[in-house]
Amino acid sequence: MFSLIKIEWLKIKKYPAFWWMLAIVTLTYPGTNMMFYYIYSKSINGKEVANNVAKMLLGNPFAFPETWHTVAFLSSVFIIIPSILVIMLVTNEYNYKTHRQNIIDGWSRNQFVTSKLFDVLIISLVSTMMFTLVASIFGMYADPDNLNRWAEQLQYIPLFFIQTFAQLTVAFLIGFLIKKAFIALGFFLFYDLILEKIAVGYLRFKTDDLGRFLPLEISNRILPWPAFTNRFGKDAKDWYVKSVAAIPEFLIYTFILTAAIWAFCYYLHKRRDL
Amino acid sequence: MEPILSIEGISKSYGNIQALKNVSYEVPQGAVFGLLGPNGSGKTTMLSIILDILKANSGTFKWFGNPGSPETRKRIGSLLETPNFYHYLSAVDNLKITSAISGRGNDQSIEDVLKVVKLYERRNSRFSTYSLGMKQRLAIGAALLGNPEVLLFDEPTNGLDPVGIAEIRELIKVLAKQGKTIIMASHLLDEVEKVCTHVAIMKRGTLLAAGPVNEVLANEDIVELASENSLKLKSVLETFPGYLSISENDSFIQLHFPFGTAPMEAINKHCFENGIVLNQIILKKKSLESKFFELTND
Repeated sequence: MFSLIKIEWLKIKKYPAFWWMLAIVTLTYPGTNMMFYYIYSKSINGKEVANNVAKMLLGNPFAFPETWHTVAFLSSVFIIIPSILVIMLVTNEYNYKTHRQNIIDGWSRNQFVTSKLFDVLIISLVSTMMFTLVASIFGMYADPDNLNRWAEQLQYIPLFFIQTFAQLTVAFLIGFLIKKAFIALGFFLFYDLILEKIAVGYLRFKTDDLGRFLPLEISNRILPWPAFTNRFGKDAKDWYVKSVAAIPEFLIYTFILTAAIWAFCYYLHKRRDL
Repeated sequence: MEPILSIEGISKSYGNIQALKNVSYEVPQGAVFGLLGPNGSGKTTMLSIILDILKANSGTFKWFGNPGSPETRKRIGSLLETPNFYHYLSAVDNLKITSAISGRGNDQSIEDVLKVVKLYERRNSRFSTYSLGMKQRLAIGAALLGNPEVLLFDEPTNGLDPVGIAEIRELIKVLAKQGKTIIMASHLLDEVEKVCTHVAIMKRGTLLAAGPVNEVLANEDIVELASENSLKLKSVLETFPGYLSISENDSFIQLHFPFGTAPMEAINKHCFENGIVLNQIILKKKSLESKFFELTND
């Protein structure tokens, strides 16, 4: 198992796109959160009544322990960046025909899929580490008085990891099946940014929220909207409480879907012509 | 001695197209085994199946007496169809991956094979910057890595210049002398004729013939004769017993005998006793090319 990771690292460490992704994630995670933090600071740091109302309503979403949830939610929007890398790493193998060569050289077909599973794990871990770092810095900076509450709501770190891994798994599946980098990337971008969002919204009104079972939405719901959203009236509060309460249920769905995708990849790869 | 590779009744189809039809043969240890056939005859499909890239519809194969597995593949240095490497990595980094997967070779042997295939100077350049011939050399280098006991080359001289082709031919001869078993698919007959000990000929998925080169390719002895008076020579030869057929062209006459039976001295004596002095008498085997056309033509 360790040797698989070592070999994948040989492939990844000199792959420019990996370092590009890391650089972009390093910029976007703090960048997006900074943007929101700036808007937040603007809205509370005034002398107007409205500013005080805003402060009362919002609390400080970037202070400990809320920072874990807020930063996780805002950063998870950028799943698209590591997804591009995951899709490139699998479609590269088809493009270079190294998916054949790895087998010829002595991997089993299962080992090949496992090596890709490790790629997705490694990228999820790197993203989670970046998120943890950004959330900690915001927590320390936003409200030093709350430092002693840093250990609350730490569950958002594993939840962020699980969501990232689950959504990158969907990206992997698309690359694994479509094989061509640009078609897979285009399809994933279109599906993630447009198609599923429309479908979820449409199904929410037309059916009993069946959109919750769409592949990315399932894991979107393990990181619900941040807590400050519950302060805009009773409906919002009900909705927030309900979505937090639904996390365990969607966690189970996420596990089932992710495991099913990987099982399917193993099954397919073992039987098909390469 | 147990064959290195034995193939039993392999069939493979892609939809309606039957790429391989019940193919069976064996590759003995130490053989240089040429797999011949026109484009689309199923050579690469065959090699892909025994390397677990494609799944056969029926039939089995054994390497070293065992069913094919990752462990058996690690003992075979293979170049299948095209050089498959990570474009953004250098030759050295690519071979490190080959070495890590196969367990063959180490840093020192990576340098050594790069010298053998003449890529040492460019060892740190990205694969994507290589010419076609250099890519092919790297693929051969990867197959040689760690000195495996069996080598499998699919069109090894693809993309190489004439010097490169000659070098690969020499390399194969050297490897054969070291006792390695070499399986080589090619449509370059000349190449196969010069290095192979065994041969299998395929056409449209069917195995036409397989066995030692001498048996498969030379089922006739051809004696080529010439003298000053070819008319008289012909009439004298027609009285010689035991030949299968006789043919002539402008400069010589050919007598055909069953394989291994041409009595050169007796022919020479017969001519001389009948007043013919020969200025040429040569025993020829049928060339691979003519045999190949004979076998693969409809």
